Amino acid sequence: MLALILRRLFYAAPIALGVSIVCFSLVYLAPGDPLQAVMPADVTPDMVEMIKHEYGFDKPIPVQYALWLWRALQGDFGLSIGSRRPVIVDVLGSLQNTLLLTSFAVPIAFVIGYSLGAIAGCFPGRWLDRIVTGFAVMGVSVPNYWLGIVMVIAFAVELSWLPATGMGPRGSDAFSIFSLDDLRYLVMPVFTLSMVPVGIIARSTRAAVAEIRGQDFVVTLRAKGLSEIAVIRHVLKNALPQVLAVMGLQFGYLMGGSILIETVFTWPGSGFLLAKAIINRDIPVLQGAILLLSLVFVATNLVVDLLQSAIDPRIRRA
Amino acid sequence: MAHTLAVSTPTDVDPDVLPATIVRGYWQSVAYRLRHDPVTLFFGAVILLIILAAIFAPLVAPYDPYKESVIARLKPFGWRGHLIGTDELGRDLLTRIIYGGRISLFMGLAPVLIATIVGSALGILAGFGGRRINTIIMRTMDVFYAFPSVLLAVAISGAMGGGITNGMIALSMVFTPALCRISETATAQVRSLDFIEAARASGAGTFTVLRHHVLGNVLGPIFIYASSLVSVSILLASGLSFLGLGVKPPEPDWGLMLSTLRQSIYVNPWICAMPGAAIFITSICFNLVSDGIRAAMDVRM
Amino acid sequence: MQIAPSVSNPNRPRRLLRFLLGACALVGVSLSQAQAGGVLTVAMTAGDIPVTTGTPDQGFEGFRFVGWSLYDALVGWDLSKADKPSDIIPGLATSWSIDPNDHKRWIFKLRQGVKFHDGCAFNADDVVWNYARMTDNKSPQFFAQQFALNRGYMTNVANIEKVDDFTVAITTKFVESLFPYTMSYIPMVSRCRAEELKYDWNAFAMHPSGTGPYRFDRMIPRERLELVPNKDYWNPARVPHQDRMILIPMPEAATRVAALLSGQVNFVEAPPPDTIARLKSAGMQIVTNVYPHNWPFTLNFVKGPFTDLRVRQAANYALNRADFVELLGGLATEEYAQVPPFMPYYGKPVRYEFNAKKATELLKAAKCYPCEITLAISTSGSGQMQPLPMNDLLKSQMEEAGFKVNFKVMDWNAMLEIARGGVDKFPDIDGYNGSRALVDPVIAVIKPVAKAYWSPAGANWGHFYNADIEKLVADIFTEFDDAKRMALLTKLHEAENEQAIMIFVVHDVNPRALSPHVKGFVQSQHWFQDMTPISVE
Repeated sequence: MLALILRRLFYAAPIALGVSIVCFSLVYLAPGDPLQAVMPADVTPDMVEMIKHEYGFDKPIPVQYALWLWRALQGDFGLSIGSRRPVIVDVLGSLQNTLLLTSFAVPIAFVIGYSLGAIAGCFPGRWLDRIVTGFAVMGVSVPNYWLGIVMVIAFAVELSWLPATGMGPRGSDAFSIFSLDDLRYLVMPVFTLSMVPVGIIARSTRAAVAEIRGQDFVVTLRAKGLSEIAVIRHVLKNALPQVLAVMGLQFGYLMGGSILIETVFTWPGSGFLLAKAIINRDIPVLQGAILLLSLVFVATNLVVDLLQSAIDPRIRRA
Repeated sequence: MAHTLAVSTPTDVDPDVLPATIVRGYWQSVAYRLRHDPVTLFFGAVILLIILAAIFAPLVAPYDPYKESVIARLKPFGWRGHLIGTDELGRDLLTRIIYGGRISLFMGLAPVLIATIVGSALGILAGFGGRRINTIIMRTMDVFYAFPSVLLAVAISGAMGGGITNGMIALSMVFTPALCRISETATAQVRSLDFIEAARASGAGTFTVLRHHVLGNVLGPIFIYASSLVSVSILLASGLSFLGLGVKPPEPDWGLMLSTLRQSIYVNPWICAMPGAAIFITSICFNLVSDGIRAAMDVRM
Repeated sequence: MQIAPSVSNPNRPRRLLRFLLGACALVGVSLSQAQAGGVLTVAMTAGDIPVTTGTPDQGFEGFRFVGWSLYDALVGWDLSKADKPSDIIPGLATSWSIDPNDHKRWIFKLRQGVKFHDGCAFNADDVVWNYARMTDNKSPQFFAQQFALNRGYMTNVANIEKVDDFTVAITTKFVESLFPYTMSYIPMVSRCRAEELKYDWNAFAMHPSGTGPYRFDRMIPRERLELVPNKDYWNPARVPHQDRMILIPMPEAATRVAALLSGQVNFVEAPPPDTIARLKSAGMQIVTNVYPHNWPFTLNFVKGPFTDLRVRQAANYALNRADFVELLGGLATEEYAQVPPFMPYYGKPVRYEFNAKKATELLKAAKCYPCEITLAISTSGSGQMQPLPMNDLLKSQMEEAGFKVNFKVMDWNAMLEIARGGVDKFPDIDGYNGSRALVDPVIAVIKPVAKAYWSPAGANWGHFYNADIEKLVADIFTEFDDAKRMALLTKLHEAENEQAIMIFVVHDVNPRALSPHVKGFVQSQHWFQDMTPISVE
């Protein structure tokens, strides 16, 4: 087992490095002078020199990358152009808020998606299956930020049941999950965020359940005289690992892909930070946020991989 | 895709009863299944309609998509001939949606097409090219695969400054890794099949083997996967436009329209629903059709 | 919205108790907040919280909510009346006068008994220290960010020196009779606090200290800034009537309106005209007032098509301003000149009434047809009104006349950086759409055209130069007689219109939407507003 973990880590390291190279090169993708990309426009000439020297813009690109990586490993992603605050502070702070959303959205999506998918898988071809499948397809086809806008109109503006924007009446650092008042701010973002995962998880569950039901051991169980409910329980248990893997991936996806929902609901998470950084062409924040979010994704995949191997020995690959 | 096994198919026998031959008769059976799948046919027709409307927009659309009218802003359904009303600058919404379909469909199909070509080429190369090439290509793809798709699209497009071209590049880069993986896996599988050995043993060169045997069997899974990507591409592209990374005003584009119409929600809520509905419907259609294609083609997977 | 505890749960009584206690605490908290005074929650158009380290960013909206809440300047503005234009009054300086022997030297007498929020007393040393903070990069308190933000105001300041504990002498570089206005934009920050924090300006931003009517309470970067009244404020009439003022950046107009309608905020800047009907029917108060504002394009006089007078005139002839007013639901007035007609030096400027044909002729005569131009516009911002739809309309009208318009769209603060950077740094931008505060004659009509203010030293972004106008400016600066100076200012205004120095579009009427519970707000004819008399019931 330890060997497996080490092997996976060893494998993930070059990926992380590759990710960092891509993030680093974002500065060079930006049109114009890379130096301009990391400085505010009204900076004084001696500050320009200082930044040039610090970032090593006068040195060859591989050296610049090494400098950037070295600073990044120490948590220094430079200063945000807009706020002139350290990027790492902003990014980590906002990451927490996205984590909050995702931590609610994924389990909810899992419970709903798994149940729906199980139902559909147990009655393949029948109308229940069609309804669930249709629902799942809608979930992955709807532009979820549009749904968010519609919900804001319906529930916040028209009915005043839920607040329209933000993370709590006292701001994000006073947000408490034990406060009902604060939780109201979570409802709509979490709902819209979970739409796509529900659809994906439902589909995966349905496929897994349908496949397992057709397998020999299920026939054997029935032949042994187990009640239908007990058989279903067995099937669901066996479908769990595959679906858990999908859920884990969805977690990583949501962490990285929450930008649209957070924009609609003005939720101060990492996606919102990213959206603002793009509008402001705040390249240091862009780099820092993307690097950290991608690394979260890589780490999530790694964890899911390891958990899967741990749970189901049959899946352990070379 | 040449069919080299000369098994004749009696025409009065139900194709479903035939043994699953690898090449000949396969496409006939796919066509048969599709023909008898009402859902896929229906939504396929809808897609066709959408595409035709977009291509022939100048003929189909009732008004000029750029003509503004300050007095005709945000009018409701049916006002003076505007079937679904007008937008925040007085332009006919139906016209804007029809024209908007051009960009949205283009951004849905083009990146997938590019990614398919590039991805399958890379994948087949990786499958056939030996260990070193395989490692280089696949590990590079792994790096890009390590990004969540929305994030990668936004990052690349955002860094490059937005716009259609950059959006296309960004989305192509998002889809290429997955397609490369699929085609590499399929290529690797096919490589080891017996009939390839047989073909090689009979003196066929690598290129001939590729063309006659591999392509036919690899393109299947690629096509299935690519077709499922179109709806994702449409959603991602509209998301990019929503964030301001797509076309610039006054070009009509569904994602951009959603963003600019948000303010007008208080005057006429249904207005904002329209572009979103367009994205939704198009996306669902592609999704269902691609599901149908997979069901039809996926017999032996 | 009760969560029913599960029946079979043995922890039920304990959980229920905890829940009840929590609920009581919540009720208790909200009750205690419902005192007289109330909480004012403001939704600003800014994309981020204006910086709290002295001179704010985010334009005049930054001053309006943050700058003049935490800090004061030597010279203040009278914001108490809605029916008269606003003018300068004593602030941290009780009086100022010109040295009769040296017209470049101004003597400012400082107010006594003023304390900073941290308790230190305010005196002449603080003024000199603040000046070094913004200009002298050898001093330990120098802060580059404040240097950049203040550079435009320091154009004519040569030196500030202490005369005695409560008197400073400010020397200007050239004679400027209107100089005192300049000192109304420069906040004084606390030297004690800066020294205490060892000049760590990032820390200062989270613990600012000034002399203003509000104290800093807490800030969540990018999300909200909370201010509480300064009970020891030196002007007892302006101690805030609210218990707390919360400032939230909401650059998207739709979000601001949604927040107001759902009760999350009770004071909203610049609601979009489309939403006014809805807001009114929901019982919101809509306040407007004329104020010295315009929404023009500041042009590039160094490079590009606008160096030709005919092209500038064509751009102005191309615009049907009535359409803009219609687009804005009547919340604007047509603009044909640098300042609105109610300003005392308006005069009789040339009017470029809508005439698309004439515009086309002029373009052809200038051999720029089609005339390709690149314009920088913002997505929101202080005084920017509804920039995206308005610029859509502008583009379609200009293109009808024969222009070809390319937009560079950016965030407001980014555009301010372009404005501060100047035409030398951005030679390929032919014009930028920055709303202008015309609060004093220098900013309104002198800075955009005088050579002394060529960017980046000042606000003459495009390096406009005209010998006659230069002479007029020199005369104005040396004219200390008010009546004669007014006549010269009027002449200057008219000359600027002849030269079509900007593309004039509309004047704003400063719409705001307030919840019906907000009382006491007086909307002055100014960019700055006094938030202190407001109470929320």
